[in-house]
Amino acid sequence: MKFNLIIIFFIIFISKNLYSDETSEWLKKEIDIILEAYKNQNLSNENRFLLIEETINNNFAGTGIAKFVAGKAWKKSDKNTKKIYIENFKRHLALNIASMMQGYSDQTYELTKSKYDNKNQVTLIDMEIFSDTGSVVVTWRVKEAKDRFFVIDLIVADISLVVTKRSEFNSMLKKVDNDLSKFNEVLSDQNQISYQKITE
Amino acid sequence: MSKKNVILFFLFFSLLSYKVIASDADQVNTDSEDFETTTIEDEIYDPFEPVNRAIFSFNNVADRIVLEPIAKGYKKLPSPLQSGINNFLSNLRAPLVVVNQLLQGQGQNAFQSSGRFIVNSTVGIFGLFDVAEKMGLEEKEEDYGQTLATWGVGDGFYLVLPLFGPSNLRDTSGMVLTMLTDPINAYAVSEGEAWLVPMRTAANAVDTRSQIIDEVNALRDNSVDYYAAVRSSYYQNRKAAINNVDDSELTPLPLISIEFE
Repeated sequence: MKFNLIIIFFIIFISKNLYSDETSEWLKKEIDIILEAYKNQNLSNENRFLLIEETINNNFAGTGIAKFVAGKAWKKSDKNTKKIYIENFKRHLALNIASMMQGYSDQTYELTKSKYDNKNQVTLIDMEIFSDTGSVVVTWRVKEAKDRFFVIDLIVADISLVVTKRSEFNSMLKKVDNDLSKFNEVLSDQNQISYQKITE
Repeated sequence: MSKKNVILFFLFFSLLSYKVIASDADQVNTDSEDFETTTIEDEIYDPFEPVNRAIFSFNNVADRIVLEPIAKGYKKLPSPLQSGINNFLSNLRAPLVVVNQLLQGQGQNAFQSSGRFIVNSTVGIFGLFDVAEKMGLEEKEEDYGQTLATWGVGDGFYLVLPLFGPSNLRDTSGMVLTMLTDPINAYAVSEGEAWLVPMRTAANAVDTRSQIIDEVNALRDNSVDYYAAVRSSYYQNRKAAINNVDDSELTPLPLISIEFE
């Protein structure tokens, strides 16, 4: 029986490591798609962003994050408002990430550490981005659902993108009495400004 | 192995390799309670928000007109020169880092930082080269704000300081303590070279800003409320610095559970 227990523990240990490796491989593939899009000079700025947006939408838990950052405003909104908000948020998320990744496009990177957080069932993957003067570490939080991985957060210099967005949205939502439909207008306007900047 | 154990193993592997047809990320949703799981934004006490916002706007303009262009110019300098300046400025901060590490009871870190200062100031030619890093003496930053926090002093209210940017009551007190006790500044003043103090502050600002040009621009260009985004970022960053733990573990985890509709 003792032998069996050792084998079970060994298998659990191995499977967690394999799981982390699998997650890292998946993440590397998706990051490369984004960085390659920046390096591809044949793409127009608009097409480049649309390609990146598609990659982000396919790999981020966009709807889940949208609900989380909306906070209290989510509950009292109707179905249609929520639907518009999710669409707006996904574009907003893509614009934010695309804008940030743009700065890293001419640098090399390495996925340096991968760790599975048993308690929260989240894989944390550290990505070290190297420049001539130093390096910066970006941590990706990845969660699995039904045989697929989804990024649920991105941490740069100890700052969580999702927590920052929640704080930022909360501040703006307070100004419109937590009315998500009014907030949709603000978000849509901001998206247009950001879109123009990234595609110009 | 008994038949019972074989069945158990079979069940175990079945559970591990359970595969379901993947769906599109668009269908991902969360538990209804997920969006109520954190109150981090409510923890930030900002009673002077209107005044802070006004100063923030002023700082933002000053950044766009003065600091950012200088930082961009600095970024065009040869990389070894940038690294040298960064190392030099960092080495000047080392004596106070040691003091704060001692005040926080981090004897080993203080010993290591002292070693860094001695090695880099001598072998590293006045701190221009980070020789200590190559010897395994890792750089660690500590300041009076962090020390006060370790002693149990709370954040106090949020403050935006003209030109210095985001802070809070505790960290502002820490900054004043730094100005009053920094031995390098004190030496410069005693030698009649007080002009070096603001020069050093400006050089630190340019060096730091040059390292976060893309991140700041990404945040500024894409925020619905840039002020709130910077405020939140400041608190998260300070919290991580105070706790001295792995940032990826410390940063609050949004409990986004994934389900399929």
